[in-house]
Amino acid sequence: MNGILNWILWLPVIGMVGVILTPKAKEHTIKMVTLVTTSITLLLSVLLYLKFDTTTADMQFVTKIPWISQFHINYFIGIDGITMLMAFLNALLFFICTLSSWTVTKNLKAYFALLLMLQSTVFGVFFALDFFLFYVYWEVMLLPMFFLIGIWGGENREYAAIKFFLYTFFGSIFMLVGIIALYYASGKGVDSFNILALQGGKFVNEQVVIFGKTFSFETIFFWFMFLGFAIKVPVFPFHTWLPHAHVQAPTAVSVILAGVLLKMGTYGFLRIAFPIFPQAAVNASTIIAVLGLISVIYGAFCAMAQDDVKKLVAYSSVSHMGFVMLGLAAMTTQGMNGAVLQMFNHGTSTAMMFLMIGVLYERSHHRWIVKPDGSKGYGGLATKLPKYTTIFIIGMFASLGLPGLSGFISEALIFLGIYQKFTTITVIAVVGLLIGAAYLLWMFKRMFFGEVNPEIEEYEDMNAREVFYMIPLCIAVIVFGIFPSPLLNVMKASVGQLVDLLSKY
Amino acid sequence: MIDQLFGFLSFYIPEVISILLMTTLLVAESSVKDEHAPRTKIHVYTQVVLGIVLITLFQNLGEKPVQIFHNAVTIDPFSTLMKIIMVIGTMGAVFISHSSKDIYSNLKSEFSIMAVGVLIGGMLLASANNMLTFYLGIETLSILSYVMSSLKREDASSTEAGMKYALYGGLSAGIALFGISHLYGVFGSIQFNDIVGQVAGLQGTDLAITLVASVLFFVGVGYKISVFPFHMWTPDVYQGSPIPVTAFFGIVPKMAGLAALVRISFVFLSAGSALTVSWVGLILVIAAMTMTVGNVTAIGQSSVKRMLAFSSIGHVGLMILGVVVMNEAGVKAILFYGLVYMFMTLIAFYITSHLSDMYGSDSYDVFRGLVYKHPVMAIIMAGVLFSLAGIPPFSGFVAKFNIFAVVIEQKHYGIAIVAAINSVIALYYYMKLAKTMIFGQASGEEKVVGFTSLNQAVIIALFIPVLFLGIFWESAMTMAGNAAIFIK
Repeated sequence: MNGILNWILWLPVIGMVGVILTPKAKEHTIKMVTLVTTSITLLLSVLLYLKFDTTTADMQFVTKIPWISQFHINYFIGIDGITMLMAFLNALLFFICTLSSWTVTKNLKAYFALLLMLQSTVFGVFFALDFFLFYVYWEVMLLPMFFLIGIWGGENREYAAIKFFLYTFFGSIFMLVGIIALYYASGKGVDSFNILALQGGKFVNEQVVIFGKTFSFETIFFWFMFLGFAIKVPVFPFHTWLPHAHVQAPTAVSVILAGVLLKMGTYGFLRIAFPIFPQAAVNASTIIAVLGLISVIYGAFCAMAQDDVKKLVAYSSVSHMGFVMLGLAAMTTQGMNGAVLQMFNHGTSTAMMFLMIGVLYERSHHRWIVKPDGSKGYGGLATKLPKYTTIFIIGMFASLGLPGLSGFISEALIFLGIYQKFTTITVIAVVGLLIGAAYLLWMFKRMFFGEVNPEIEEYEDMNAREVFYMIPLCIAVIVFGIFPSPLLNVMKASVGQLVDLLSKY
Repeated sequence: MIDQLFGFLSFYIPEVISILLMTTLLVAESSVKDEHAPRTKIHVYTQVVLGIVLITLFQNLGEKPVQIFHNAVTIDPFSTLMKIIMVIGTMGAVFISHSSKDIYSNLKSEFSIMAVGVLIGGMLLASANNMLTFYLGIETLSILSYVMSSLKREDASSTEAGMKYALYGGLSAGIALFGISHLYGVFGSIQFNDIVGQVAGLQGTDLAITLVASVLFFVGVGYKISVFPFHMWTPDVYQGSPIPVTAFFGIVPKMAGLAALVRISFVFLSAGSALTVSWVGLILVIAAMTMTVGNVTAIGQSSVKRMLAFSSIGHVGLMILGVVVMNEAGVKAILFYGLVYMFMTLIAFYITSHLSDMYGSDSYDVFRGLVYKHPVMAIIMAGVLFSLAGIPPFSGFVAKFNIFAVVIEQKHYGIAIVAAINSVIALYYYMKLAKTMIFGQASGEEKVVGFTSLNQAVIIALFIPVLFLGIFWESAMTMAGNAAIFIK
């Protein structure tokens, strides 16, 4: 039983070895090995969902094997309701990304090997319950990302790759200091690297002295962790790496970045920063809410100003992740449920947007809504590419939060949750929704309506492969928009436990 | 008397074999007729004998500590493990020198002779148990190093390197000797054993003199491990010297100096010492400055050799933090760091040496697009760079983690934050090189970089510990931990 989780974690590594062992010339075999690996992983994650016990907040499918016993470091993995959803999202998006990467030609073997490595490390981050293991996965994940952006990216890829790497590393090295401090503060015992055992506000009364000044242990290390996670989310003002990374990254990597990697940041708050430092988290909730609000509004305005459609979607991610932060800051049942649901729903809807932009880019080789010389990049796509337009509309409205599609439910829950705590912030945040609708619809108008641009005459509509990999996402945004309970039920117990803990402070 | 001498010598077998090796190498070189012939036999001979030294050292590793030659030399697992690191480093440097074009054939045996000589000095320094042995060790180490750095006789920068090294070295050794004379005045003994007992009871003038003298004493070591502000010579010497020599300097004198620093720190900081606060404060400041100066200066370098030189200053700054905490865990962390750092340095210099022989330059440009010319070597080099930067799953991360752990355990959060920021700076310049190798397209004519299969095998063999110790580091830590127990 417990083996399933290990299989999900290690199967991509096995696939990666398979890709490496395949001769370079056999390109089709390499693609098939990757596809088979990701589809088995997806099937296993569905199986995991079916076997998942939604009634308990405890960790399930736990494996615990001693790794470095001197430091009480264990290979300790398991999932709860929150990570169940993230694991499913990760399995689904990598399966889709494999299909969408079918047209990659440059160094195909290395590309698919790195993609599989990335999948395993992302699973690792979500599954790890040992702090050291978590940190190792958190960092190792940077390596495939660095190479994927740097080798297969756009023109300015080197800059984007380095900025991404440095920014994340800057945050995580402070997290490492926090992890070690926690290890010693909890008495370097058997459970000192155990994330679950550290939870529950055990460090409320500790103090630290830094540069001769005394601080509360909780506050200092909450902010250290905050730095690590906020850069990953990214929360304003740490968001500046994101647009670069997104614009330069190849389509599949953008999808993964927006779809699951950003969620690692908010997941860090849910699993680590909030439960381990509940007092500091409650104290910081106003700051988190304000930063979340700035992300929502500022991200939306930035998106509106973009001429590059991919950059527009990248900034819209900043805005949408701001909603997640708002839901987290609320620390109420609805807010937290909404935040986790938004993590999942943003994963599917943004993935759709990036994939659709990727499809278009393969035809046009540019992404300008308005070209730098002022002429229109597209125009009249709706009349020429009906299939493309239909799917694009579904993705766009899901991301915009139209009732009936998935984005609406999670945003509504977040507003319900946060209204109880921060009324003013809620009112301003609603404006963010409005701006969101404005920039998406304006972008849609400029690209799809109007006169047919002569440049797009030759474009072919989506082929069967492209339609095929979009279908699961279309289904997800529609079904979970009307019927979100399969997701809410899974996370209910775990989120409830966290809210209970936070309500004591 | 004679029995006692032979009894002592049985603990001193590694050193004795090394001395024999050095003398036989002198004879062997004089028998070579054609001065342009490759010195394959001599190198094989050196490697085999050093291999035997390594085996004898491993046998000593499990022994209880003993003090021999009237307590002048101490043989304990700590010094033995340091010697093991030095011997492997020497073997690596000799191996690099075999194929290097940076040293002319007729000087290759001389390189081996002097490297073994420096190794003997380093072994003496690591085992030094009185101030005279300490001074003897540091001088044996230094004098041969001066000659090694000017091995490229016709090259002006190499000569300059030798000159600079000699001037700085002479000055700092003199200062150290000055400090030693004051310490003798205070304690009436040069034996570390005698000093340990007296340090705790120091008062008044004696305390003040000891504090000043111990700082002067520290200068002698500080310059060898090139900590701020005694690091000025490092980049010029590293750049002027032939690459095998640079690789060698990055490992053997540094490890010997670190071993000496650990030992004298434990002497002056024995329980209840009034020196503790000032000494720890001094090392904290020096460590912070060393890291920052080394890493910040490394950013702007255009020569890979210079970049590695400055980055080595940064690493030493991190390593000496293990001294600050004054406990076994700190020594353990230093030993593990030293072990891992040795492997990483050897690989980095090996590949740099090979490319600079190929293209006649050691700028970043010769690394451009290496991944397309030789994927395996490029991936290994990238792995080493990420390991140096402290990214898991490579062992450099574990080494850094251990240093952070011992520092944070003693609640030195301030220095931990400084070290954290330094890690980010270091990552930047290592990534710049990784980026050039992997993202860059090779410019101009495509030359296939011809690593011979032997070269590749050695590099891969050196890379295995870099990767392995990053994931399964338990046994290496246990070994380092056992070695650290006997330090007091």
